[in-house]
Amino acid sequence: MSPPELRTRGRWPPPEGPRVAIVGSRRPSPYGEAVAEQLALELARRAVVIVSGLALGIDAAAHRGALNAGGVTVAVMGTGVDVIYPSAHTVLAEAILKAGGALVSQFPDGTAPRRHHFPARNYTMAALSDLVVVVEAAEGSGALITAEAALDLHKEVMAVPGSVFSPLSVGTHGLLRDGAGLVQNARDILAVLNLGGEVLDDPLAAPGTLGFKLRPERDGILSHLSDVLAVNASELARKLQLPIAEVLGRLTSLELDGAVTRHQGGYVKALRRGKERA
Amino acid sequence: MLAGLGVRPIRVEAYIGRGEVAFIVVGLATTTVKEARERVRSAIKNSGLDFPHSRLTVNLAPAELRKEGSGLDLPIAIAIALASAHRLPPPRSAFVGELALDGSVRHVDGVLVAARGLRELGYERVFVPAEDAEEASLIEGLEVVPCATLLGVVNHLLGVEPIPPASRAAAGDTPSAMEQDLAEVHGQEEAKRALEVAAAGGHHVLLTGPPGAGKTMLARCLPGILPPLEFDEALEVAQVRSLLGELPRGRPLDWTRPFRAPHHGVSTAGLIGGGSGLALPGEISRATHGVLFLDELAEFQTPVLQALRQPLESGRVTITRSGGSVAYPARFSLVAATNPCPCGWGGDNVRVCRCTPAAIDTYQRRLSGPLVDRIDIQVAVRRVPLEVLAAEPCGEPSSVVRERVVLARRRQMERQGVLNAQLKPTRLRQLAPLPPESRRTLERWSARRGMTARGFHRAWRVARTAADLDGSDTIAEHHVLEALGFRLQDVAA
Repeated sequence: MSPPELRTRGRWPPPEGPRVAIVGSRRPSPYGEAVAEQLALELARRAVVIVSGLALGIDAAAHRGALNAGGVTVAVMGTGVDVIYPSAHTVLAEAILKAGGALVSQFPDGTAPRRHHFPARNYTMAALSDLVVVVEAAEGSGALITAEAALDLHKEVMAVPGSVFSPLSVGTHGLLRDGAGLVQNARDILAVLNLGGEVLDDPLAAPGTLGFKLRPERDGILSHLSDVLAVNASELARKLQLPIAEVLGRLTSLELDGAVTRHQGGYVKALRRGKERA
Repeated sequence: MLAGLGVRPIRVEAYIGRGEVAFIVVGLATTTVKEARERVRSAIKNSGLDFPHSRLTVNLAPAELRKEGSGLDLPIAIAIALASAHRLPPPRSAFVGELALDGSVRHVDGVLVAARGLRELGYERVFVPAEDAEEASLIEGLEVVPCATLLGVVNHLLGVEPIPPASRAAAGDTPSAMEQDLAEVHGQEEAKRALEVAAAGGHHVLLTGPPGAGKTMLARCLPGILPPLEFDEALEVAQVRSLLGELPRGRPLDWTRPFRAPHHGVSTAGLIGGGSGLALPGEISRATHGVLFLDELAEFQTPVLQALRQPLESGRVTITRSGGSVAYPARFSLVAATNPCPCGWGGDNVRVCRCTPAAIDTYQRRLSGPLVDRIDIQVAVRRVPLEVLAAEPCGEPSSVVRERVVLARRRQMERQGVLNAQLKPTRLRQLAPLPPESRRTLERWSARRGMTARGFHRAWRVARTAADLDGSDTIAEHHVLEALGFRLQDVAA
């Protein structure tokens, strides 16, 4: 197969420097999303170009992180460069272009999203990057295709560990078991790129502070919530030995303050303030 | 004759005149009534009575009304028999029944409805098929004469051998066994609480959860935590069943709340009522005063769900067909259930959802809109792993929850005469004022989540119900917070 011709929008090729792809689940936990954003932010500050796929979830968080650092980021798309998919990311795509990044695609203009285009896109993403970091990928996730492609192309693959309780960790932990590099912070990645000094085994700095004050009586509930796994109200009521009506009320109160978010599976501790997911 | 749950009395006149032998029925009779001629002729002859050997005219009045149904057999035969005997029918009496060729009187549907309607029109006596007598005798102040054979009725009317009137049916007061008890549901505290609030305030519920989470089981628990039917409600339920011929013999009144679970392939006519001529009641009317359970809500056809909107608001449904328009009761508690996404595993902690965001979006859009907007309580149901199932406490039995529900309902009836879910916004403001603190919380949520005015009022009503369950006169902030906890629809995906 001859290398496909790339259609591009924005500045291409991007400025000289290492390119790191950050990929993962379209529906990550708040933990995964925060990790992706934080890693992208710290790498972009070191003039690393962040490559991702403009998808929901980890991809978007990676692009956002790079933009927040004023960095350059490249979106490798599975559609024509003039078709923004998902359409909710139109604003994000414009922000990428405005910040000196690029949208690139191997597909002709006007190509609509097709299921079978995305694996090919994932391959291209690996080809355009020096290193691939996987943050939260369930078994069979598209991010694993990118990792596979990176190995085929003799590029480095690294992965961020997650909770052993979460199905979103199955793919990343599989990569780690098979020899992918462990990512605990941005320095781990910089070291592999030969950009960092010594590797310190300290955790990734948590993003900011929670930014809200809690009424003391609600702390009890918060300490039983996780930022990775959804916990439902029934479970909490049982653990805290409280009537369900009270637990529901308190959770809603925390939700109003932005301290927790509600998902299909239950309640999750929020890592960032205020910003609600689109 | 019946028109929905109403009655249109028909006068049957018979005239035996001179002329060649003929049997003529006039008065806009449809096929079923024209066929009555043959049944009536055989029944009269086989009863050993005389059939006039001359020109016989039967007139059905009022002439402009289309006559339908086999219930006119008995009155026609009686009119002929009385005309032959030169006797007048007893005053303020009505007859209904189908005839067999041998002269015995057969069951017809809707005798209960007929009896109630006739009593309201001032009739004092009804002659009904013997097997339907118990049904008719549920109506107070009406003498019910059970008719086994045509000959028996004629002998009764001629004073030869009177038939003793049916004794008033003893309305049994033991509710039949509950289908499903809450105590059998392990865990799921959130959903159980949602059902309790729904039962207390008459709110509709949407259960969202993966397959096998126990949505159907939960829905089946709702009738058991509702108070038993009142006499009038039970009568209305029995009337709908009577019309459809589904009333069980020997126990016409049932105090258990109906539970109807139509399959998602149901047609609009099947759900809201329909049929040729005059419409028959559909699933929503069968579920009246009880529970209508719609499983796999997203699989129902859109027009079918659209048709549900009007009855959901008004508690009645009016259906117009060629035979005229009829209204049926449709005051039910809706319990709808759905998967969170097409594959069903969205949000599950163990299995991963494989749906594309676009597919989920399409699926959820099918659910959103006017119908779901009318559902006050939305709650997620989680799959409970088997090993946890065994360990979790069983929780309260339905009877305990029902006691709280009954008290909360009584508070509402004393305050406002209707359940909270049916409270109009103006009366809601008057009767269920929000203290400043509670209002602020509701407004904050509303501003954050872009809740509509309708949603605002719905949350308000649910908060009022939570307060009623608490025995509280004011809506405290935690009541509002709980109500908001049941608003899954406001959560960003």
